[in-house]
Order: sequence, then structure tokens, then C-alpha cells
Amino acid sequence: MEICNSYSSSSVDSTNPSPSESSVNLSLSLTFPSTSPQRATKQDWPPIKPRLRDTLKGRRHLQREYDTCLFVKVYMEGAPIGRKLDLSTFSGYESLLENLSHMFDTSIICGKRDRKHHVLTYQDTDGDWMMVGDIPWE
Amino acid sequence: MNYFPDEVIEHIFDFISSHKDRNSISLVSKSWHKIERCSRKSVFIGNCYAINPERLIQRFPSLRSLTLKGKPHFADFNLVPHEWGGFVHPWIVALAKARVELEELRLKRMVVSDESLELLSRSFASFKSLVLVSCEGFTTDGLASVAANCRHLRELDLQENEIDDHRGQWLNCFPESSTALTSLNFSCLKGETNLAALERLVARSPNLESLKVNRAVPLDALTRLMSCAPQLVDLGVGSYENEPDQESFMKLMAAIKKCTELRSLSGFSEVAPLCLTAFYPICQNLTSLNLSYAAEIQGNHLIRFIQFCKRLQRLWILDSIGDKGLEVVASTCKELQELRVFPSDLHDEEDNDTAVTEIGLVAISAGCPKLHSILYFCKQMTNAALITVAKNCPNFIRFRLCILEPNKPDHTTSQSLDEGFGAIVQACKGLRRLSLSGLLTDKVFLYIGMYAEQLEMLSIAFAGDTDKGMLYVLNGCKKMRKLEIRDSPFGNTALLADVDKYRTMRSLWMSSCEVTLGGCKRLARNAPWLNVEIINENENNDLMMERNEEDEREKVDRLYLYRTVVGARKDAPPCVTIL
Repeated sequence: MEICNSYSSSSVDSTNPSPSESSVNLSLSLTFPSTSPQRATKQDWPPIKPRLRDTLKGRRHLQREYDTCLFVKVYMEGAPIGRKLDLSTFSGYESLLENLSHMFDTSIICGKRDRKHHVLTYQDTDGDWMMVGDIPWE
Repeated sequence: MNYFPDEVIEHIFDFISSHKDRNSISLVSKSWHKIERCSRKSVFIGNCYAINPERLIQRFPSLRSLTLKGKPHFADFNLVPHEWGGFVHPWIVALAKARVELEELRLKRMVVSDESLELLSRSFASFKSLVLVSCEGFTTDGLASVAANCRHLRELDLQENEIDDHRGQWLNCFPESSTALTSLNFSCLKGETNLAALERLVARSPNLESLKVNRAVPLDALTRLMSCAPQLVDLGVGSYENEPDQESFMKLMAAIKKCTELRSLSGFSEVAPLCLTAFYPICQNLTSLNLSYAAEIQGNHLIRFIQFCKRLQRLWILDSIGDKGLEVVASTCKELQELRVFPSDLHDEEDNDTAVTEIGLVAISAGCPKLHSILYFCKQMTNAALITVAKNCPNFIRFRLCILEPNKPDHTTSQSLDEGFGAIVQACKGLRRLSLSGLLTDKVFLYIGMYAEQLEMLSIAFAGDTDKGMLYVLNGCKKMRKLEIRDSPFGNTALLADVDKYRTMRSLWMSSCEVTLGGCKRLARNAPWLNVEIINENENNDLMMERNEEDEREKVDRLYLYRTVVGARKDAPPCVTIL
């Protein structure tokens, strides 16, 4: 799955040094939790070895419904470095957008292209670019 | 000494086995260097990329036993990509080619392939001992080659490895003539075990002292194994989640009673409380107990068990034992030297009452006068407790404290834990290893630099305020060998202040700190005898070597540097850039 962020304005806002008329690629790719640089992720903190971690994860009576992490990498066009985040920590599209806007220091929306904002899109398994927000969060 | 014939000097050197001492001997004179190197049987290489196999063999032609370590320590916590490196294959190839009469190979955090194991098994006729710790890359097929071809195998010890279990018949591959086994540990294998083959193997190994089986060995099989190996000193059991019936239980207890030599017990990935009681008869003989995988067992069962273990020297346990349980340990285990308390709840869901706190730590320090090594995971700590612990236990060699929540202050005063850790380093003059946690400012590092004169390994996470912190450590700790830092605000100033310091250290790890690509490039330029590795799993690593203006601003996600005499390694994967 890949997320794209695109805006269609041809006039470049002088305070926003982004390229004009192009789709800004916010590509979402599932990455293994072990490669996430996020602070205090479930996989690299606390500092215990894999065998103990697996043993504790397997504890039956403490099994949570949403035990898995869902790390994705998000790119904004013009910036070569993607940012990683854990989708399972968000409750819905609103909190995801809010967080992304803060992370990339720009305003991001779902849905229709808008000259002032970045738009969040993703690339599905067929390779088609889709608007984020069309399907329910779950 | 130089008037003695070489053989006499060599004979004297035979009595000196410690690596450090032998390294010192080799520096005395040219003739001692030569005698020492030609007679050296056992070599320890703490970083497999610091030297290459050809030079090793050239210097030590009589090599019999080799220890190699690969990935840095933080690889244990998923901070190093699997493909990073640490391949043993070139070493085995070179040793085989030079016809070294290798007898022992001990590897830690290395990548081992079935091909490597096959080559190993065919190349060294006197091969006796294979110990693999936290390694990966091989399957039970590789084990089958070792079992089949190493005619004189005495020890096969697999600790915490990632092994692809093909559920083959590797245990069957030990020939009938193989009767020399003294140690067999396959506890990390995840698949089914051929019980008949195992029982036959154990039955024909009268010298077997250490046996650690995997989860798939059920209770009745364990009973039979113990019955035909009452000489066992070290036993690792499997997983027994169901309560045994009366008959099975009696048989098990009878077998256990016969194992009068048993001193060390481990395994128990799941254990029904009744099973645990079967071991009561031998508790009083135990010197080492590892119950750190028994996540389902309640504290009260653990406490009842430990009450019988009066001679315990080493205890690894989960925090479900609670402060009360640690108080029992403190009053029962007066011979205790090493304690490790691991977390049992990663999601912070259980009642805080069952976890351990500073109370348990203080109790242990007060009750166990011989304690010298501790690893303690807990939810909270206070300066007062640490100061008391320091007073009670000035003999600590290893002190590792992990407060589960990063940056957590003293929970009674809301202050940092600088004073507590300061007391530890001041009192424990022999401290060699230290791990910090909780809320810490630059001050704790000032203390460490001032007092921790013997400190060789320091682990830092979420600590410090400025580069001064790291500088205090680099300037003060003369014996520092391994420094590993994560998520702390240390940057280029500290990294570059004293480049020659890294000549005296094995390695430095810094992840999620403030060092930049520019700083790392400058370091690499000024220290060609260092490998400065940047680990970055984003795709565009080629660009990293070119861009210049942004280097100063671009923070490095993971930095690993180490001294080496053989330059940049050629087997680095795409995610690693060697500057």
C-alpha cells in the first residue's frame, strides 16, 4: 500500500517551498516494527531479548485484540526522507491527518484536491492511487 | 627469563590462560611475543571485523579454540538489521584451508549457514565443542551435519538462536559410536523432537553432564531421560502446561530424586505448579536457577520453590515474584552472587502490586552479601534506595537497572536519579558494567567519569542533556571498551572531541542521538583506522556519500564505529554505509 499526497495548484505559495502541479508522493509501505526508529516502540524497548519478548507476547490471558503494530512509511514529494509511524496508534482518519500535518509541517486533507493543502492518497495492492478516507478506518 | 630454553618458557606460559594476561605477555619482548603466539591455543575476538582470519592464523598457528562476536549488543533489541553482517563462513573457510586443528568454536551474534556448519563438520577431525549464542541463518540440517560428521563432539550448546526447524532427524544423525557427549543444549529449537533418538543418545552418553531440551519434550520423556542420566549436573526442561496425573508425577519425582548431582535448572517455558513441586527434593542442591520463561506461573509458587533453594548462587526470574518474593530470596539465598529480574508484563496491564520496585532491590542488597551482578527491570526507583544499595553492596561488578518507563524520575521526590547512580559508581570501585535508566541529567555522567575507574561497558538510553554528558564519560573512564547510547541528546561535539579515545575502545554505538552525517564524515576522515558505519534503512544510501551541504543538518539514525586493522569490510549490505 502506498499513500500519495498531491496538490494541484499551479501558483506556488512563497512561504511553502514545494513543487507546483505534481503529486506529492506519500508512499505507505508496511515495514517491520524492528526497523522503526520511533522512540519506545514495542519491539526495541524495553531491552529484552527476542525469546523473552515472544514468551511474553504469547501470554494468553493478556492477549490484546490489537496486538499488532502497523508501521508505514510516509513520503512527501520534495523530501527524500520518509517518516515512519504506527497506524495502530491512531483512532481514525482525523487523528492520522492531524499527526501527519504536524509531522510534515503542512496542512494535509483527505478527499478532493485543493490548491492550499496537501492531499493524502495511497497506492493499493493493484497499484492504483486511491483517496484516503473513502473506506472505513477499520 | 631469557636464559631458559624456549620450551621451558612455553611451559610456564601454559599456566596462563586468561586472554588479557597472554596479551600482556606478548608485549614484553620479541622473543616472548614469538613464544606466546606460537603456543597460544585459545583466542578471543570481540569484534569479528577488527581483524581477518588470515592474519589470525598467521599469528596463532597452533590455534585450537576460537571465540568470535559479530553484531553489536543492541542487535538483541531489534536495533540492527538482520542482514547487517557478522558472517562466520569466511572464517571457517580460512581455518579449513590452513588446516588449523580447530577443536572449539564459540560464536555470538553471528550469521551461521548450513553450508558453514557442513564445512566445519568436515574440516576439523578433532572438533569437540560448538557453542552458538544469539546466532541465526541456519537450520536443523546444519545441526545434522555436525552430529553426523564430528566424531569427537563433546559439546553442542545452542543458546537463544534463530534456527529454522525442519523437523528432520538431526538427533538421529549422531552415530551409534558417539558416546562422548558432555553437553547438549537444543532448548531454542521450536519444532518437534525425535524422542526415541534423544533417549538413545542420552542413554549412550555416560559423560553427559548438561542436557537442555526444548519445549517439545513431554513429561514422561523427561522422566525417562532423567532416569538414564542421573549424573546430570545441569538440566533444562521443556514445557509442561498441564498438571500431570498421579502416576506420572510419582515417576517424575522418583527420577528427580536420583539426580543428586543436579546443580542447575532451567527451561520451564510453561510449567503447571504441580510439576514444579516435583523438583523440591533437589532444590537444596541447586546453585543456579532460571525461571525467566515461566511467564504464567504465579509469584506464590515461585516463592515456595525458592524457599528450598538455600545454596543458590545464580537466580534468573520474572518480576511476578514481587517485592515480597525478593524479600524471601534475600532471607533464603545467602550465597547469591548473580540476580536477574525480568519484566513479565509488557503492556502495563497488571496490578502494580505484583511487580517489583525499589523495595525488592534494597531487600536483596541487604540480605545477599556476595551479590556482584544484577540486572533489574522495574517500574519505579528512588535515589534513597540506590544509595542504600550502594552502601550494602560495594562489590558490584555488573549493575544494570532498567526502569521500564523512559525518563522516569525518583517517584518520591520527582528528581532525577543522578545521585542514586552516583552513589553506585562511587561505592562500587570494581564496577565493570553499568546500564542506566530513569530521568538522568549530565550530572550522572560527571559522576561516572569521576568514579567509575574500572568501567568497561556502559549502556545509556534516554539520558543526559548536552554533549558534556558524553564527554565526561569519554574523558573520565579510562578502561571503557564498549559504549552504547540510544535516544540521548549527544552530538558531534562529543563524538569528535577526542578521536584517539576510540583507539582504546572496541566500539561505540549511537542511535537516535544528535550526531549528523557531517560529523560522522569528519570523524571517518580523521580516523582511517576506524570503521564508521551508518545504518539507515531508507533507500537512497548512494546519495549519502555525495550530498554535502545538508550533511551538517542530517541526523544519523544509527551510528556504529569500531577500531579495525583491516579497513572497511566488503560484506556490508545496502542499508549500511561505511564512511
